[in-house]
Amino acid sequence: MCDQSAGGAKASRVSRRRFLHSAAWMSGAVATGVGSWVLQPRWSNAAAAPIRVGIATDLTGAIAYAGNANANTARMVVKDINDAGGILGRPIELLIADTASDESVAVANVRRLIQRDKVDLVLGGITSSMRNAIKDVIVTRGKTLYIYPEQYEGKECTSYLFCTGPTLSQQCDRFIPWLIKNGGKRFALPASNYVFPRAVNEHARKFIENNGGEVIVEEYYPVDQIEYSATVSRIMTNKVDVVLNTIIPPGAGPFFKRLYEAGFGRRGGRLACLYYDEASLNINEPQEIEGMANCLDYFRAVTSEDLASERIQAKYDREFPGRILFAAGTGATGMYRGLKLWELAVKEAGNLDREHVAAALDHAKISEGPGGPAEMVPGKRHCRMNMYTAVAKNGKFEIVARSAGLVDPMAC
Amino acid sequence: MESALNATFEVLSFGAVLVLVVLGLGIIAGMMGIFNFAHGDFVLLGAYTTYLVYSVGLPVWLGMFAAPLVVAAIGFVLERVVIRRFYAIPVIAMVATYALGLIIREGVRGLIGGLYLSVPEPIVGSFTVAGAQFSRWRLAIIVITTAMMIAGYFLLTRTSFGLRVRAALDNPSLARASGISTSALYAATFTFGAGLAGLAGALVVPLFSLFADFGIHFLILGFLAIMVGGIGTFQGSVAGAATVGVLSAALPWAVAPVVADALVFVIAILFIKFKPKGLIA
Repeated sequence: MCDQSAGGAKASRVSRRRFLHSAAWMSGAVATGVGSWVLQPRWSNAAAAPIRVGIATDLTGAIAYAGNANANTARMVVKDINDAGGILGRPIELLIADTASDESVAVANVRRLIQRDKVDLVLGGITSSMRNAIKDVIVTRGKTLYIYPEQYEGKECTSYLFCTGPTLSQQCDRFIPWLIKNGGKRFALPASNYVFPRAVNEHARKFIENNGGEVIVEEYYPVDQIEYSATVSRIMTNKVDVVLNTIIPPGAGPFFKRLYEAGFGRRGGRLACLYYDEASLNINEPQEIEGMANCLDYFRAVTSEDLASERIQAKYDREFPGRILFAAGTGATGMYRGLKLWELAVKEAGNLDREHVAAALDHAKISEGPGGPAEMVPGKRHCRMNMYTAVAKNGKFEIVARSAGLVDPMAC
Repeated sequence: MESALNATFEVLSFGAVLVLVVLGLGIIAGMMGIFNFAHGDFVLLGAYTTYLVYSVGLPVWLGMFAAPLVVAAIGFVLERVVIRRFYAIPVIAMVATYALGLIIREGVRGLIGGLYLSVPEPIVGSFTVAGAQFSRWRLAIIVITTAMMIAGYFLLTRTSFGLRVRAALDNPSLARASGISTSALYAATFTFGAGLAGLAGALVVPLFSLFADFGIHFLILGFLAIMVGGIGTFQGSVAGAATVGVLSAALPWAVAPVVADALVFVIAILFIKFKPKGLIA
């Protein structure tokens, strides 16, 4: 009996030690491990301590193509700033954390940016769910400035959180009347079942009905659905003129192919998709998305009419040749804008205090950027910018309409 | 009428796609008692091989021809190197296949840069019957699947190889005692199953475009199909795949798509509850 209990105590001691050992090993692995990679400063012998900028974006996982475009853009802009002598005489050190298209991984990695690396600014997040997951870690608990670069629904009004991509209002309010004029009045709104498509459809329905159109089909699908024959049949039999799509990949490609096979384009139907850019064009064969329209803050075709856009695009293509493209739908243009606006704000503030930088960022303006100039709307933490309507022709977007000036985000 | 014709064709073509995927999965599960979690990623490998051949400028059909051979070869190597070590402990074997699947998937994701890539059909265009439009390539998939089904059936029932496979399926110990090398048979079966998955991936990639999570969609439906059809028979796999394929393609015509997605599983689970050995046991 006595032996047994002694044996039991011994066994439990060993297992506790083993537990602690494993726990230490695990947390060590997590803390240093594969979840994020960090760019080391090349100027370790520089006189002034660098300003640390954290990029939290999806380098791996389902939307890695967008996250890597964001990271590349940040590298390009930061290199530019450093080559020009940095900000306030200090170089910028870029720390890139992988949010891995997974909110739970993201929160841990972003927390490390804030707590261990003590960054002065975080830029990033692509989906709205990602922004919602990491904003509290950055802004509230981390007391750090946060810039969100992606186009989105436009209802984010958290203090110290600045949005530099277009809002739904900037995308839709001129685009939907254009679609009615250049497509027709009968709309279908097929959508993946999550927050962004629902917000798009709510907003779009209002504009469609106010402009004399009507919504014939509004449907939501599981995010990973790839079979859309029933939907396409409903669109065809109901004689829909315009399909305003918010089905996201992997469903988007098969859905457009189905529409094409059913003859939607051939009978004069207009396809529109609010996130489609140059990076999405290779999801389908060119003929399958011929005539697809979208309204964004930048298309590659803008380079033929705006010198600054041409310069930025050429620089990106030179520094990052390959398949990860500089395109508006990925948030890369918002990333460029965000970093440049922040640079000006820090210069104006003269220090890195969050209050001072946020106050300066609130009215920051850049005269050059992808798509043209941009400026923050004071008190709104959102950005005024040019908006372009483009149509896919032979696998390329061509500009068919442009806003008369900077478009107001109508947010907050 | 036009819509009913359309619906029938769409349901058939999706059913055919699923049958192709499930044939390989079913034959491996039936013979070796292993649910191959890497099967979806074999489908992905087939799709990727097709893309690779197409992207170097060769015709797509050549890629589709190469895909089953390449994936079968990879399947053979994996069976010899990894899977065969775990036949005695099927649960571990499943974890091993899951790990292999993950490695393949993330490897391909790295290779294609996480993008969604288009692969064109070798036979483009559509034809019209009674006012309804049908894709030629979807018809081709139905034809190829039917041919594969018939070939598979004859292979299993009319050849001496088929006889040995059925013997090993029915009673592995007795088969071994009768001088049949089950080890070689298992390797052949796994290779054949992988090849079928590769073919499935190659044929359907023009419909869905290539992306890293391509195979997972088919894997879950495939497992469901095997449960419904019954483990261990060729006919069971086909019947299960047809049932699940038709259900998941037909339900969105009748109810809201978000509901349909879950309803397929609910119906299948109810079905298994009342017919636990499957349609054909």
